[in-house]
Amino acid sequence: MSTLTNLSSSVEDLRDTDRTRMLLFLMDNLIWPILFVSFLFFSALLPEIFTDYRNIRFLLYTSAGLGAITLAEGICLISGHFDLSVGSIAGFSAMSGSLFLTQWAPGTPGVVGIAVVLGVGAFIGFLNGFFISKFGVNPFLQTLSTLIIFEGGILVLSSTSIFNLPGTFTYLGGATVDLPLFKPMPVAVFFMFALFVAVFAWLTKTRFGRAIYAVGGDKEAAGEAGINVDKVVISVYVVSGLLAATGGLLLTGFTGGATPTLGTAQLFPAFTAAVIGGISLFGGRGNVLNALGGVLLLGTISAGLVMLNVGPQIVQTVNGVILFSAILLYTFVGRYRERLLSDL
Amino acid sequence: MTNDDTPLIAVDGIEKRFGTVEALSGVNLELGDNEVLGLVGDNGAGKSTLIKTLVGIHQPDAGEIRYDGDPVTIENPKAARELGIGTVYQDLALVDELSVASNLFLGRNPIKKIGGLIPVLDEEYMNEEAERILRERLNIHVDPETPVEYLSGGERQAIAIARALVTDPDIVLLDEPTSALSKAAVNEVEELVFTLKENGHSVIIIDHNLEEIFSWTDRIAILFNGRVVDVVDTEEVTRDDIVSMMISGQSVLGDDTDADEQTAGSESATSSSTA
Ligand SMILES: Nc1ncnc2c1ncn2[C@@H]1O[C@H](COP(=O)(O)OP(=O)(O)OP(=O)(O)O)[C@@H](O)[C@H]1O
Ligand SMILES: [Mg+2]
Repeated sequence: MSTLTNLSSSVEDLRDTDRTRMLLFLMDNLIWPILFVSFLFFSALLPEIFTDYRNIRFLLYTSAGLGAITLAEGICLISGHFDLSVGSIAGFSAMSGSLFLTQWAPGTPGVVGIAVVLGVGAFIGFLNGFFISKFGVNPFLQTLSTLIIFEGGILVLSSTSIFNLPGTFTYLGGATVDLPLFKPMPVAVFFMFALFVAVFAWLTKTRFGRAIYAVGGDKEAAGEAGINVDKVVISVYVVSGLLAATGGLLLTGFTGGATPTLGTAQLFPAFTAAVIGGISLFGGRGNVLNALGGVLLLGTISAGLVMLNVGPQIVQTVNGVILFSAILLYTFVGRYRERLLSDL
Repeated sequence: MTNDDTPLIAVDGIEKRFGTVEALSGVNLELGDNEVLGLVGDNGAGKSTLIKTLVGIHQPDAGEIRYDGDPVTIENPKAARELGIGTVYQDLALVDELSVASNLFLGRNPIKKIGGLIPVLDEEYMNEEAERILRERLNIHVDPETPVEYLSGGERQAIAIARALVTDPDIVLLDEPTSALSKAAVNEVEELVFTLKENGHSVIIIDHNLEEIFSWTDRIAILFNGRVVDVVDTEEVTRDDIVSMMISGQSVLGDDTDADEQTAGSESATSSSTA
């Protein structure tokens, strides 16, 4: 008799923990159901049009540049840092590479231009990381200065757009491929997915990635446990610079040239996408694949609004509201999560 | 070169300031081979600072650390670990967001090569090892994949202790390892300290519980205001002696040649201590 009640109560327990775990899993990956619902919402309002292959393709295509810049922001946030300069790094490095190919060293192959873009991005990122870790400069102030310096720097380099870039330079961001399943599809879309998967694997499967999460979770503990915190911080900013520059390259291909405002408007969307993807502002928590969900959600909503003939000026307001809702949501989820955990 | 009397680790005239606070003002201390040394002192006496200086979290402003008789500069905790020092920090130094296994191997996570080329974390090995080490050495049963933030204070402390042992260090530094533990768990730590001693390890243990200090240690060092008041054989002192030294900063033992040497050896301490 008593063994029977014991058994049934332990089965109940099991079911309870399973349910708790499932809820936790859902809460950690909330962005995907939200994205799904938004997509259904616009599909219902815009039957046939919104789910049209060309629309989805365009939606993905416009997400590529932002996706890379979101990754740049995301890894900084995971490491417990902050980067306000991702947008201006994207713009400045893209402009440098474009000017290099057209004016400083015309006739050089496009790949060299790509190397210039990435090199400039990595170097600016290195400066950020170096001053933050070695001189203890506050990340907010450091990257704010970088933002201002290089946003101005773009105009110093060129106040006009640079077009007529070599095909190899704009291939990643501008070319389309014909695949049997995906009729014509921009290379940038495949590249974006690959980039997210690669960064995800780097962060979750390697020793260095684990160190980034550790530093983001508790810098002091990570140091005491023997992690070289300065090295991690500098590397994070270098990779962030590289990713931001990659975003600049993708945007250049998308636009067909480097414009002086390219990238600079991407900071807030990138930040928003990372946060609504569930990456914690306090570091140590978050999944970059979910940040991709955030990017796609922003893309879905702005595409939907534009197609509903809602003026593009509204889009930013809506993005702001989304960010605010996300922050509220995650605050509540955070509290609820603690309650669930104490039951585990 | 090393004879039997060479202390395993020795600090000589170690000083450490934080701004206007002089946390350590000329500490001399030796840890013998296979010795369990207790380190006691009031809050703020400098115990944790001494430990952190030994493992390279702080660099001393003055003084020397000798390992096996040779002067060494311990750059960082990693270097200390490679030298054979395992540490349990007072704040535990665990990352809440990471799993038990990740914390146990923090900073030295084992890797495997996919296709003999791409190095990735060996999660399976980490989980198995973490589970085994916790079970065998501390009799703690936790799911190695659980994030540390879900654990109780005692379980967290056990993880921190286990982490100090993973590398099988010669010297184990324990900064208040039992403060969050239940009676049963304290017994595990006691057994652990005895096992460490039996297996030839050396231990420095900081503990405000003098009962534990008295039953676990061979010698006791009393720290007061950043200097060593005295180092005594545990069997030759009473609890009252220790308490009195902790409070007054004066050695109570008749022939405190040890303490005289200590004060003479450090210039900064003389003015304040020999009243
Ligand atoms: N990183 C730091 N920065 C500034 N002051 C510090 C720092 N670490 C320690 N101190 C100061 O040094 C002194 C010694 O501190 P320490 O932590 O070594 O004491 P303790 O003996 O371990 O005390 P407790 O028993 O409370 O743990 C204290 O006055 C403390 O405030
Ligand atoms: Mg202390």
